[in-house]
Amino acid sequence: MISYALKRSILAILVALTVSMISFSLLYISSDPAIAMAGETASDADIEAIRELYGFDRPIVVQYWEWLKKAASGDLGKSYYFRTDVSHLIAERLPTTMTLGLCAIIFAIGLAVPLGVASAIRPNSIIDRVSLFLSVMGQALPSFWFALILIVLFSVNLRWLPVSGSDTWQHFIMPTIVLGYYAAPAIMRLTRTGMLEVLSTDYIRTARAKGLRPPVVLFKHALRNAIIPVVSLAAVQFGFMLGGSIVVETIFALHGAGFLAWESITRNDLPTVQGLILAFSLFYIILTLIADLINAWLDPRIRIG
Amino acid sequence: MTNSPQITSTSPISGVKSRVLRHKGMMIGSTIVVLVVLIAILAPLIAPHDPYHQDLLNRLKPPVWDSRGTWEHIFGTDHLGRDYLSRLIYGSRISLLIGIGAALISGIIGTFLGVMAGYFGGRVDMVVTFLITVRLSMPVVLVALAVVAIVGGSLQVVIGVLGLLLWDRFAVVMRSSTLQIRSMDYVTAARAVGCSTTRILMTEVMPNVVNNLIVIATLEIAHAIILEAALSFLGLGVQPPLPSWGLMVSEGKDMMLFEPWLITIPGVALFALVLSVNLLGDGMRDVTAPENRN
Amino acid sequence: MKNKKFVFSLIGALAATMMYSSAYADKSNDTLNIAIDRELESIDAYYNTAREGIVISRLIWDGLLYRDPVTNEYLPNLATSYEWIDSKTIQFNLRSDVNFHNGEKFDADDVVFTMNYLADPANGTKPARNSNWWSNAEKLGDYKVQLNLKAEFPAALEFLSGPIVMYPNEYYGEVGPEGMALNPVGTGPYMVTSVEPGKRYKFSKYAGYHSGSPKGKASIGKIVIRTIAESNTQLAELFSGGIDWIWKVKPDAAQRIQAQGNFTVKNSSTMRIGYLNFDSSGRNGENPMNDVRVRKAIAHSIDREGIVQALVQGESIVVNSLCFPTQFGCTQDVTKYDYNPEKAKELLAEAGYPNGFETPFLAYRNRDYAEAMINNLNAVGITTKFTYLKYAAFRDKVQDGGSPFNFGTWGSYSINDVSAITSHFQSGGKDDYSRDPEVMDNLKIGDTSVDSAVRKDAYKKALSRIADEVFMFPLWSYNTNYAFSQDLSFNPTPDEIPRFFTATWK
Repeated sequence: MISYALKRSILAILVALTVSMISFSLLYISSDPAIAMAGETASDADIEAIRELYGFDRPIVVQYWEWLKKAASGDLGKSYYFRTDVSHLIAERLPTTMTLGLCAIIFAIGLAVPLGVASAIRPNSIIDRVSLFLSVMGQALPSFWFALILIVLFSVNLRWLPVSGSDTWQHFIMPTIVLGYYAAPAIMRLTRTGMLEVLSTDYIRTARAKGLRPPVVLFKHALRNAIIPVVSLAAVQFGFMLGGSIVVETIFALHGAGFLAWESITRNDLPTVQGLILAFSLFYIILTLIADLINAWLDPRIRIG
Repeated sequence: MTNSPQITSTSPISGVKSRVLRHKGMMIGSTIVVLVVLIAILAPLIAPHDPYHQDLLNRLKPPVWDSRGTWEHIFGTDHLGRDYLSRLIYGSRISLLIGIGAALISGIIGTFLGVMAGYFGGRVDMVVTFLITVRLSMPVVLVALAVVAIVGGSLQVVIGVLGLLLWDRFAVVMRSSTLQIRSMDYVTAARAVGCSTTRILMTEVMPNVVNNLIVIATLEIAHAIILEAALSFLGLGVQPPLPSWGLMVSEGKDMMLFEPWLITIPGVALFALVLSVNLLGDGMRDVTAPENRN
Repeated sequence: MKNKKFVFSLIGALAATMMYSSAYADKSNDTLNIAIDRELESIDAYYNTAREGIVISRLIWDGLLYRDPVTNEYLPNLATSYEWIDSKTIQFNLRSDVNFHNGEKFDADDVVFTMNYLADPANGTKPARNSNWWSNAEKLGDYKVQLNLKAEFPAALEFLSGPIVMYPNEYYGEVGPEGMALNPVGTGPYMVTSVEPGKRYKFSKYAGYHSGSPKGKASIGKIVIRTIAESNTQLAELFSGGIDWIWKVKPDAAQRIQAQGNFTVKNSSTMRIGYLNFDSSGRNGENPMNDVRVRKAIAHSIDREGIVQALVQGESIVVNSLCFPTQFGCTQDVTKYDYNPEKAKELLAEAGYPNGFETPFLAYRNRDYAEAMINNLNAVGITTKFTYLKYAAFRDKVQDGGSPFNFGTWGSYSINDVSAITSHFQSGGKDDYSRDPEVMDNLKIGDTSVDSAVRKDAYKKALSRIADEVFMFPLWSYNTNYAFSQDLSFNPTPDEIPRFFTATWK
């Protein structure tokens, strides 16, 4: 168990390093940090001064090493745009995104798994058709379209919900639905497929023959096995949310980490982007670890490590 | 007189064929897909206008079913006066290419990585998990932006970028499915008998994970097409004036509250394509693995 | 009985969702809700560059002078009078009855502190050009100061009546830009009651605002400014009453809103102009744009009038000179290029491109205008490899010399002077792809002389040469659409700086 934990930790550090290296290089190639820092209206002299002052003329490897050293001790630097600490910015905005993501994945699982199970029990029935329809809607409906339609219906016409902002829990209802429905189709389809397979296997027939009541058969045996790929997928989907929340956060004016990431990338605000990517990658690592652990608990045949 | 039993042909091919023809979903799905492919191929013959021809005096004309619409432009015109129906028809080419191209590339990469990880475990698994986590932590947007800034935007770039970025779901699902399969009896049996790894992978593992593969593949085709819409919206996708359904949807966003048909029309086309791909995928799975049917 | 309870709790839940009703409603609360589309880096006037920052700074702070948006006169504000001692020295007499929002008294110390703070490049205030033309300020008395310029600077009063505003020396000395960004203090008609950086700012009328200010007395009690990046969301908020005022509404949307008749829509021209920039001097290596005939051909191939009518709309016009017509020194009396595709093809053939050529083409905004221009170019045989980038990336590429042909715009920061635009692009700086000695010399004369006649003459020479050689091709002026509640009386100004202190409820 300890060696497993050690292995996963080393993996975590390697991932964080690799990701930050790649993103640093990408940002460096696609923009000039001196211009980004100096701002739109700076003169050439201003830009040169900044280049020297901040050491932007040094080789990229040296600059990366500087950033890494500071990051390791918790100093993520100052945003080029806001001139405040990056860690402060992230701490301010990440909670909104996390809350949204969590609500969305709960909504997605709560919607998708029951539908998937129901469709598997009664294939080709009305419920199967409805779930298929919803699943296709979930894939083919661009999220900004769905978001705006919900706004027009529930905010402009019915006045039941606020349009944008993050002040109250009502402000999170529509964003949760929009972000969640996007993750739901994959979860639903996979659940359905898994259940279909499992339901027709020998040991399920045996369990039925033994006289076990259907719900027991369903949940204790079938779902438990069908759900395994779904758990891994859900972890990935949750991760997607952090990236996919850009559109939702933009449209609903939620000012979370997703919106910050997009704006920072387009503003060439390197320190903020680096900080956010570091935060996200650490988060994914934890997520995939949890998913693997859950899977191992569900099916002991899957040996971890 | 006793009726002699009919002996129908029992060859596997005719069995599959009859199942296909009887599977309603698959028939609908494949019909639509074939239709879209035909439209894409025959575009120059069926499009009423040149999809690139701008007419600044005839902008934002509504479709024919609106009181202000005309038969000249059945689906109306866009913000630059280009005929919407023609753009829709030519757009099918781009959307199909992107969906299939990206899904193919990402499918090959992801399946390979996922199956390797699931089957061999140990170090291989660690490396693949590492790659997956790295890929998940990289924002698609950042990579796309950087690539466009360096290489410029074009159809090939979009397909390549999407293909290289969308393999994670394939890998994740293939990995966990393979993990399950690995410990199944028939696999251990095959190993005991001394089959080579490749043989085991091909004949025991793949056929059993292919169901999930198909599910994910159909999802990713749709995903690639929709993602292209998001990228176009951000200016990183297919470059104008190339029509793609995704670009049409994002271009229509600005007038969404006033002329909703600008989004609805390509949106419905996208919906139809995604629906049919799903039906096709489901059908293929049902038909080739009959024990999974009701 | 159980059912009733259930129904009631359901109704209760529904009612709870309806109770979100924001406390920020409009006229009935004497609160003006405004939406802007971007996050401000900082509310501190000297550490942001967005137009919205300029708008906000007019609310919170005052300058020594104030330019009347209609007459363009420079009126006294925090200074009661000024006098040019010589061409490089100005003296100001200050008001003695002004207090900052936090009670601090306004006097010469504040002016001296502010001007010296801005003059020090180590403080990194933005934009540098606003304040790099004086060397220092001196205190001559409690209410008298002297400003020493580095050299003659014709736009001095223009800056002192707009972007240069007075900060409180005690407060700013204590909290600095970080403190000012979270809790701004000024002498202006509105004080800030809440700052959520980048998200939302709340203001309320400053009861102690000095009477007799050229800005007048503010009428609306409270203002809330929120950042909503998505234009459709802004519209939805407007339609549902959550927001009372938006601007930068796209022309087609503005037309529709006007037609629906539930909101007031106003259009106003701005100082921003669009242009095409060519690599005439070969900064990006050898390419077709080096040849003046090619540039002239392109000038003849763009249907500017058609694009203005159909796409830009509003009060926009075609411009023929690299400046906005009202800017000092701007003249439209230069070589003009009519829309003539045949002529364009002739010129191209003459230059050695009878079948046209392919060129990279860069832009960062108004993709539809760019597409319309590409269409025009295609018609004369020029094909493009079009790249659409975000502004930062666009600016980087252009300033690095990597773009032989691009479409850009420039708003001159609403400075009503040719030096704010033509000199920016054609004085040998990073955006200058022509580097023409004649143009650069004339611009230098215009920028540094204080004699109006000399300046006008020099600028005319520069602009004429730019037009003759088509170093850059001016396209059209831009306009802004404002859409707001019918309860509000608001008038846009040509400098594109909305003044909420003159707005009132009807």
